[in-house]
Amino acid sequence: MVHKDDFEQINDYVWELPQAYDGRMRVPARIYGNEEVFEAAFRDNSAEQLMNVAMLPGIVKYAMAMPDVHQGYGFPIGGVAAFRWDEGIISPGGVGYDINCGVRMLASQIDYPALEPYLKDLIATIDRNCPSGVGGKGAVALSDKELDDVLERGAEWALSKGYAQRDDLERTESRGRIAGASAGAVGSRAKERGRPQMGSLGAGNHFLEIDVVDEIYDAEAAAVMGLSRDRVVVQIHCGSRGLGHEVCGQYIQTLQDAPRRYGIDIPDRELVAAPVDSREGRDYLAAMAAAANYAFANRQILAHFVRRSFEQTLAGKVKDWQLHQVYDVTHNIAKVEEHQVGSQRMRLIVHRKGATRAFPPRHPELPAVYREIGQPVLVPGSMGTASYVLVGTASAMDDTFGSTCHGAGRTMSRNAALKQARGEQVRADLSQQGIMVRTGSVKGLAEEAPYAYKDVSIVVESVTGAGLARKVARVHPVAVIKG
Amino acid sequence: MGRWQEIEHTADLGLHLWAADLPDLFTTAALGMFSLFIVPGDTLSATKTLTLTALDVETLLVAWLNELLYLVEVEGLAFTVFEFAQLTPTQLVVTLRGGPVLEYTGYVKAATFHDLRVVATPEGYETEIVFDT
Repeated sequence: MVHKDDFEQINDYVWELPQAYDGRMRVPARIYGNEEVFEAAFRDNSAEQLMNVAMLPGIVKYAMAMPDVHQGYGFPIGGVAAFRWDEGIISPGGVGYDINCGVRMLASQIDYPALEPYLKDLIATIDRNCPSGVGGKGAVALSDKELDDVLERGAEWALSKGYAQRDDLERTESRGRIAGASAGAVGSRAKERGRPQMGSLGAGNHFLEIDVVDEIYDAEAAAVMGLSRDRVVVQIHCGSRGLGHEVCGQYIQTLQDAPRRYGIDIPDRELVAAPVDSREGRDYLAAMAAAANYAFANRQILAHFVRRSFEQTLAGKVKDWQLHQVYDVTHNIAKVEEHQVGSQRMRLIVHRKGATRAFPPRHPELPAVYREIGQPVLVPGSMGTASYVLVGTASAMDDTFGSTCHGAGRTMSRNAALKQARGEQVRADLSQQGIMVRTGSVKGLAEEAPYAYKDVSIVVESVTGAGLARKVARVHPVAVIKG
Repeated sequence: MGRWQEIEHTADLGLHLWAADLPDLFTTAALGMFSLFIVPGDTLSATKTLTLTALDVETLLVAWLNELLYLVEVEGLAFTVFEFAQLTPTQLVVTLRGGPVLEYTGYVKAATFHDLRVVATPEGYETEIVFDT
């Protein structure tokens, strides 16, 4: 069992397990975070899982864990790993079941005091318009043909159907469409699960939240994003629903004999993988891209119905109730990207599982509006605590393939959280703090209670301290719909 | 009849399973998984037959559990009574009986292969399985 003393401290925020620790490691493993974050990684199997990732073929530089790291299955959550296109692998378990789970932020020009009298009505209207909970039907019914369109065109499909503003796509990672998606690579069962769920939040840790900006750290970047102190914003956290789960499960099943056929030695069957440039690798990449496109469209549809809810509740009562999109980030994905590795420019497949892309200013993939400030990074805290808006940096590009944290990161199991307090108590505590909560699962409320997560401020201080992002703004919640 | 015990996992859910034989293992795994997120109904109004083939017993177990999850999500049916016509480490043929889910108490996305090993013991079989939630 790997121990914290096996790691070497590189600086205040970087800890490294040397490649020599285990003969099967192909690169060293690195944990990003201050001492408190680093030590927390040894309270579960995060470090062990990270070491396993370092053993996968074609991995370059390091297997990396962001400061919100915690134990997952196969990869740790908060894991980043990049593999050579020519001799590396792609691993569905390195993306996870909720493909392109991500966060979208919409911002308004409403000062919170003007909204407050209507908050209860607004959150109830959003709750009606944006279905949530286990299984469940989404806000939009899709035909077979439309679903195939969604899978191949993502948010572009939503735009063509009137569910998006053109600006929304500019302000979405990869413009809301991952290239190379193929509806044909997605199995019929995945489609059966996804068809009725378009425009739904789902359950688990997914949420839709109304927040108020309470701190601006970088006035220039905040102005570019349209964020001002005391203004109301909305965050939407969800992914590809049952369709993504089925795609991941389907490919993990079918790839079970790929390691034997391709001579790939894997330390954990959940890390099952195929060479990127193999038939199986290309098939998974096409299916994963399709599921990611479904998730982009899903968050776009939810954004549309949030906007409609604002109009239904606030038009004629509150000025400037319109919402513009700040950004939409994905945090469970594998992407084809070019990066500098030593003296070489390499085509890589970058796996981010519970990690966010954080590209720096002037990166060609950024939309013109964000070219000078860097890519917005949305880091939601736990229910009832602050969330942060950051921007990507050049040092993130150099150190972590342009990646940073994705949230607070759990620190307590669901059972342990349930033992701390009942859902009704959590609701009452949040109400005391002025946070309204709507949920279909009171038990789920207890499982997702703020104390079940790390302090997001410590996570954010770690990524900014490590140079993996810069702080722009902080928001705090006033109303939460918990999926 | 086998038994299960929930194991601690930071973000997800896990079960330790003990069973006398393979049908017992597959039955116990299914009932244990359901206990994590639903209350099955007490009627046996629905019947289905199912055939699955897989590379080995671990792959078959994951396929089995994910099939049952799929039926919960798509059809709202929890199958709790199983008559195995055939169950080897690589194939199962089973008749499922069950009914509509009574209550959802949580959410399970999928059964995973994480550190999954089905071990034969003097008493039968033992394994641990992690579920993505």
